[in-house]
Amino acid sequence: MGDLLDGYELLDNCWDELFESPGVPREHYVALHALLGQLTAEEFEARCRARDMAFRDQGITFSLSGEERPFPLDLVPRIVPEHEWEVIEAGVTQRVRALEAFLADVYGAAHILRDGVIDRRLVLTSSQYCREAAGIEPPNGVRVHVAGVDLVRDPKGNYLVLEDNLRTPSGISYVIENRRAMTHVFPEFFTSHRVRSVLDFPARLLEALRRAAPADRSDPTVVVLTPGVANSAYFEHVFLARQMGVELVEGRDLICRDGVVAMRTTDGETRVDVVYRRLDDDYLDPLHFRPDSLLGCPGILGAARAGNVAIANAAGNGVADDKALYPHVPTFIDYYLGEKPILANVPTYNLEDPEQLVHVLGRLDHLVLKPVDGSGGKGLVIGPQAEEEELVELRASVAANPRGWIAQEVIQLSSSPTHTGRDFGPRHVDLRPFAVHDGERVWVAAGGLTRVAIPRGSLVVNSSQGGGSKDTWVLADERFVAHSLAPVHVPRLATEPLSPPDPGPAGQASAAQQ
Amino acid sequence: MARSGWQLRIRHSTLYRYDGEVTASYNEVRLSPMTTGRQVTLDARVEVQPATRMSRHHDYWGTLVYSFDLHQPHTELQVVGRSVVETSGAPNPGPEVDWAGVDRVSDRWSEFLLASHFAPEDLELVDYASAVRHRFDDPRDAVREAVELVNGRLAYVRGSTSVSTTGPEAWRRGSGVCQDFAHITIGILRSMGIPARYVSGYLHPSPEAPLGEEVVGESHAWVEAWLGAWEPFDPTGLDPVAERHVVVARGRDYGDVPPFKGIFTGAASPAPEVEVELVRSA
Repeated sequence: MGDLLDGYELLDNCWDELFESPGVPREHYVALHALLGQLTAEEFEARCRARDMAFRDQGITFSLSGEERPFPLDLVPRIVPEHEWEVIEAGVTQRVRALEAFLADVYGAAHILRDGVIDRRLVLTSSQYCREAAGIEPPNGVRVHVAGVDLVRDPKGNYLVLEDNLRTPSGISYVIENRRAMTHVFPEFFTSHRVRSVLDFPARLLEALRRAAPADRSDPTVVVLTPGVANSAYFEHVFLARQMGVELVEGRDLICRDGVVAMRTTDGETRVDVVYRRLDDDYLDPLHFRPDSLLGCPGILGAARAGNVAIANAAGNGVADDKALYPHVPTFIDYYLGEKPILANVPTYNLEDPEQLVHVLGRLDHLVLKPVDGSGGKGLVIGPQAEEEELVELRASVAANPRGWIAQEVIQLSSSPTHTGRDFGPRHVDLRPFAVHDGERVWVAAGGLTRVAIPRGSLVVNSSQGGGSKDTWVLADERFVAHSLAPVHVPRLATEPLSPPDPGPAGQASAAQQ
Repeated sequence: MARSGWQLRIRHSTLYRYDGEVTASYNEVRLSPMTTGRQVTLDARVEVQPATRMSRHHDYWGTLVYSFDLHQPHTELQVVGRSVVETSGAPNPGPEVDWAGVDRVSDRWSEFLLASHFAPEDLELVDYASAVRHRFDDPRDAVREAVELVNGRLAYVRGSTSVSTTGPEAWRRGSGVCQDFAHITIGILRSMGIPARYVSGYLHPSPEAPLGEEVVGESHAWVEAWLGAWEPFDPTGLDPVAERHVVVARGRDYGDVPPFKGIFTGAASPAPEVEVELVRSA
């Protein structure tokens, strides 16, 4: 019997998550490596089929260019040891605190602009700077209720921040479903590893949302506002509403009167205190944004201004994750917190500086160019992998609108063994940890979404570009043993119904026979 | 307060007669004059028919905004703003300023230097702006030149443009109303590197107005240019901006300061009937 990972070839100049050198696993992967070594290719295939059935039965899909596909989970988990996780947790927390402070500032007194710490122009030209949100004070001061901070690892294994997502970061449902699927498909993995749970995320989120409610609302009502079934993350909207035990609503279910938001139910109207919205600012309130949008709730921004409802995440957060402001996040950390960044940025060029612009235009074939407004990897150009005509077009666009782009050095993302259908090959991965801010502390779910670039050599991991994912394990030290043994969480997959199945007519018949 | 100021009473009514029933509407109005270094608002109120509760806040630009929503079916909506304002006479001359001084504030006033929706960058106006900038050593003279050019080239023709017309569109048409005069001027000033903002408010039409006589006026728009301090210019009539002008709101262009903004469900709406009455009361 051959070892499944026997033919695995490490990439040059690239940190591999599992292997330290050919055939030699890193310390925190030794046990997993041994377990995988006991499986035959046929056994592994069978587990893949079990996974596919579980996801299909659950209807866990992602819509890619209009087509519904099962969310692709690779069965080789990504492991983050405790000491690395401590750095990530502290770094993400620090970033969220700094970005919260920045948002409170630019929608309030704007000290950072008056002090000349960053160019006023940079903020004021952001298409995401939402002047309609100026002066809106969230009840508990929180604007970033949920954040997803994308991390990559350089060839030395350093974690770097690639971007922040402070608007409607998605993916946490896949983190949880991936864990459930893994405990179902590979229960033995979890008896040999102390994996910290990610299943508490919805409860933490609900708690943070309840704390975001107006202070005079003792038992606040929270809803999840979705743009509807056509949205690519609709599955997640349903998932979170169900997990939190709150209503999933669309704009037409809400009504705003005299600055108070209510939802229409079969029992009449119920006041709503917190709207966890999963639609963009543009669609939130047609009085202030797109007047033709039917997805939002007219008047909701005024209700938030009056302090009668909390919008989570807050309107206008996009100015803090505008890619052109990203190079300045270390400055924010220093200015607002007086700290040094725990997680470094990817080296980024400021294209509004004429010298840097010239330098970048001459090296487009060596750099990554991203449009500042793009999300989900849209519009991104990886210089070394681009065709000549693509670069010519890019040069013209960047030269015409430097504020619209950022340029970064290409980071050779770390790789992780990934099942390719036939064997296991190195595929590049990133990591999106999710943070929840409840007004007192920032809590980071112990895990996150590891995204995988499926084509060999590809550096684009976005699920909206066809990427896959891995279950991400944060290994617990002794402090977490009590709740870390995953098998105590009975996998809630469709093949194992939660309640005893209805025996049905056949069951009655057999009982009668006895 | 400066000498020779006036006291003005203003009534600004907007009446929508819908083609049928409107079942719900959400609205924002900007009708309350600001208190600034050159005017003091003694009283300002907004009334809505059908009556409803209103909330108020100051927006990003510092304008007082009233918001309200209506949920009972109605066929007419009337919003009336009433105010009493004390204005100042002709201002003292502004500070000495040179081009370097103007360029130094380009970051501080960047919002008023960048192209905006109603004052987009326009090649013809940019060319003109750079020619004027080179001809004058004093930025104030360049501003005056631009204001006079717009005033001379554009014919004031009511109804020749609409609220959605941009500055360059009106420029090519050769006619417009005060909103267009202001947008074109703003575009030229910004292209010269001079921060420029849009001012919405009222203008009493008569310099020799007797006390107590009610006159029919209009909403008015003019501009302010930064010349070491914000300095007003009125390209529509070249009137000195003084005791007859009342400031309600300022912003990058009309889009930041509409007197009335709303969305509603139900019957269609023809253009509203707008009336402005002004009385010099002291």
